[in-house]
Amino acid sequence: MKEPPDILMVDDNPADVALVREALAGTKRRSEIRSVGDGVEAMACLDRRGNFTNVKRPDLVILDLNLPKRDGLAVLAAMKAGPELRRIPVVIFSTSTLRKDVVRSYEMGANCYVNKPGNLTEFFAAVKSIEEFWFGFVNMPPQGE
Amino acid sequence: MTASSPGTALETPVSAAPGVKLHALLVEDNALDAALVLRALFKDGFDVTADVVEDEVAFIQALRARPPEVVLADYNLPNWKGMDALKTLRSEGLDIPMILVSGTLGDVTAVECIKQGATDYVLKDGLARLPEVVRRALREKNERGLRHQMEEDLARKVDELARSNSDLEQFAYVASHDLQEPLRMVTAYTQLLGERYRGRLDESADKYIGYASEGAQRMQILIQDLLAFSRIGRNSATSMSVDCNAVMAEVLLGLAPAILESGATVTLGELPAVWADRTQIAQLFQNLIANAIKFRGDRRPLIAMQAEKADQHSLFSVSDNGIGIAPEYAQNIFVVFQRLHARTEYPGNGIGLAICKKIVERYGGRIWVESQAGSGSTFKFTLPSPGPDGKQEARP
Repeated sequence: MKEPPDILMVDDNPADVALVREALAGTKRRSEIRSVGDGVEAMACLDRRGNFTNVKRPDLVILDLNLPKRDGLAVLAAMKAGPELRRIPVVIFSTSTLRKDVVRSYEMGANCYVNKPGNLTEFFAAVKSIEEFWFGFVNMPPQGE
Repeated sequence: MTASSPGTALETPVSAAPGVKLHALLVEDNALDAALVLRALFKDGFDVTADVVEDEVAFIQALRARPPEVVLADYNLPNWKGMDALKTLRSEGLDIPMILVSGTLGDVTAVECIKQGATDYVLKDGLARLPEVVRRALREKNERGLRHQMEEDLARKVDELARSNSDLEQFAYVASHDLQEPLRMVTAYTQLLGERYRGRLDESADKYIGYASEGAQRMQILIQDLLAFSRIGRNSATSMSVDCNAVMAEVLLGLAPAILESGATVTLGELPAVWADRTQIAQLFQNLIANAIKFRGDRRPLIAMQAEKADQHSLFSVSDNGIGIAPEYAQNIFVVFQRLHARTEYPGNGIGLAICKKIVERYGGRIWVESQAGSGSTFKFTLPSPGPDGKQEARP
């Protein structure tokens, strides 16, 4: 059997992180979710620096836009500029429906842009769909070459 | 009659009731003539004080020392010209009426002087006319001042209103946008509690969680509506010539399920093009038709939309055979979050018609309703027409 997917969730709202964990708790893919609360920590984790030296690179990044220290678009830009990080798919997961946020995200190489639904049922459905789509249907890039 | 004596400034120069104070500045080289002029005013009830000067230096000094209500200037002076006093008044930035008082002044000269800005002229052998001329000059100046004041007040109010409106828009947007985030947590977690712990607490707990959850969800919808409402003014909508027939076709397609479900019949007249943002026009039509279906009572809805094309603003009407609106509520229904019915009777937040009004007024139109309770409603509104070449020439 395949190894469970590694998902890095970058979000400063622990309530949202908990909801995502709840949403994926019962799925068959048994995704492992690591969460960090700001953009600086996100880059440390992705670059495996500091507290993250022994951490595996994630298969997928779920990225909020409005983050402390270094915002989501800056993290996205740094990832897409990194030779090894650029292949990791990034799902923007944000409440912002502003056209400029959506456009900028795609322009900067986001792989998709999902709004956080206000309703729990939809929220769960969105998160499960993200997992099922990326790990059930998508041919993912190979890790660490 | 006191010449050059201190006196209080004239407070109400509008009418010259006996004893009305007047401070005049006379430009006159002849003491006798000056006395005659003052006597004419005094006789007619002015409590007149005056400075008398005969050259520019003294004129400016007098102006600055005590500004007069009126300047009475002789046309011919040995060292100065009466009309030059007018130029001096202007260069001093003073709006003080100047009346020429002269022994001889031909009609041509007189007309020329008035053209240049003299208020009036009086011949020295017709001084009896002077008080009335002064009175009129003061009245006109007073009116000019009042009008100017009113214009300034109005401009300031318009400015304040525009600013407070845009502050309010900004506030509504920021508030509703920032409120969404914490509210989303409340909604999601009350829902989660409700689902995860149903039947594991007691019956009351389930009910209470249900109330909290419903309330949070309703507030979420309210906030989204408020955001949509405030966005109408914020977004720089792109106006173009919009084919209302095509827009209506799309709107009806979107409303097809509701139309089928209610058995509604919608009849459309030929609709003119309008100059507006297409999306907003679609929203306007959709809200009105959806309302006509929703507030239908027991009858099968019969809805008709028509328009009269006009050069400036076309007049549209959407009529139905629904429950109607009592005339006393005809204004209320356009106010945001105003509802006339219990939520259980007709669901909704009371934002639809407020959005309609905001859209219509954005394009300088008007919207109103003609209705009686129980006998259907006709909503009428006006929208700007495109110019003859299908464009809009510099219309706001």
